[in-house]
Amino acid sequence: MKFKIQNSSYGFLLLFLLGTIIQLRAQDQKSTVDSSLLERINYLEQQMNYHKSGDDHFMVVGLANFGFSSNKTTNTLNGISTTSKKSNLGDIDQFEFSPMFLWRHEKKYLMEFEPTFSQNGLGVSWADISYFAAPNVIIRAGYLVLPFGTYSKKQAAGWINKFATDPIGIADMPTSDYGVEVEGGLPLGDMKMNYDLALSNGLQLGNDGTVTSGYLVDNNTNKTITGRLGLLPFSNSSLEIGVSGMFGKVGTEGTSFHNVNGNMYAFDFNYVKTYVPFLVNFKSQYNIEDISNADYTTADEWATNYTFKNHSTSSFTQCSIRPTGIQALHDFELAARYSTYNTPSNSTWGSDQSAFAIGLNYWLSWRSVIKFTYEKYNGNSTGSEVLNAFTGITKSNTLYLQFSIQL
Amino acid sequence: MKINKNLQPISISIIVFVGILFITTINACAPTKAIAAKSGVQLWSENCQRCHNTPSPSTFSPEIWETVGMHMQTRALITENERDKIVDFLKSAR
Repeated sequence: MKFKIQNSSYGFLLLFLLGTIIQLRAQDQKSTVDSSLLERINYLEQQMNYHKSGDDHFMVVGLANFGFSSNKTTNTLNGISTTSKKSNLGDIDQFEFSPMFLWRHEKKYLMEFEPTFSQNGLGVSWADISYFAAPNVIIRAGYLVLPFGTYSKKQAAGWINKFATDPIGIADMPTSDYGVEVEGGLPLGDMKMNYDLALSNGLQLGNDGTVTSGYLVDNNTNKTITGRLGLLPFSNSSLEIGVSGMFGKVGTEGTSFHNVNGNMYAFDFNYVKTYVPFLVNFKSQYNIEDISNADYTTADEWATNYTFKNHSTSSFTQCSIRPTGIQALHDFELAARYSTYNTPSNSTWGSDQSAFAIGLNYWLSWRSVIKFTYEKYNGNSTGSEVLNAFTGITKSNTLYLQFSIQL
Repeated sequence: MKINKNLQPISISIIVFVGILFITTINACAPTKAIAAKSGVQLWSENCQRCHNTPSPSTFSPEIWETVGMHMQTRALITENERDKIVDFLKSAR
């Protein structure tokens, strides 16, 4: 009996020891797992910190256009017609390579710089610094795109433009200048509005009555005010209508032009909406350019004095349709545009011009496109015959094949 | 733009007054509840296509979207609230 009791005591002791060992091993394994998990978490945290964004950020994007154009132009002057044919790789009017540098300093400052290499050589589209002063107030200074209409600021980039060319006249209007600007977008109940006001050195009048912009040194003490007000009346932002004005002295101080002023107006319209299965895009802009009267002198040996009403208008209306809801066709887009450009009659550069363009685009991605554009142009010279500036009637047909990408 | 010296204090006062009025007006503008409740994806689909195709969220990293968002605010003149919602959507939907 005694022997039996001893045996069972040993059995219990053995079981107790075994249990303790198993428990200790389990605890040991658990602490090994815990420490391995902690090490892993620490490593991941470290990795996250390595890749965590800083307060500042610098990046390069940009755009490029390249293509081919084939053109036939006929000019008729005094009953005699001459025809010329050209074809150009590089799509001579629209070849462009423009990297865009963006520096973000925390969330208050943004520097933007876009140099451009094109048929005009190296240039700068804009170079400015923006200060995000309040929720809907942005203050900018530098070399700015002026808030005159919307084409130059929003639609001119090759990968945005539905055509291989710019609308005539609109792109010839002054675009960038040195100055300061305040802009922003505002909620207005169900609607929205936006404002954009710039004070810049202003346009400068040439000896033939044309105006140009983008001068670091002003030609007078007056500054030019350019502003645009936009209204988006629908809650889905599908429609935007805008009105712009540009007012300032354009004549050079100390010359006979010192009192010449420029008053310009632009009206723009933008409607983009999906009507299943089509995305419809309708855009239009109308510009008026009035320069007050001045007496001009020809640069030739005769030094003839002349004057003219310096009034120009330019406009474009375009529509594009993309079958986004049809799987087989959703990368294609059809577009048509009519544009006009009328410059002062009896000047040395007067003409009534119009162009009709039709295009078929194939979208390779949301930001790269192959464009086929066919453009028919008519230009009737209204230049002064007295000054030998009448150049007759010009008609041309041009076919473009262009690749545009935003990088 | 020459200003008579006697008129300078008045001109400065007018500029300050107009500035204060301008800031007050901007701060007073408000959206309706339905507009304020719009999501980032809805604002992305409505606003980007006004100028160009709607961008794919996978195009850029979250850090780049922050910078692009600021650049696009200066171009499209969307409100800051719209910008923040669109950028948040683009960052989260990658």
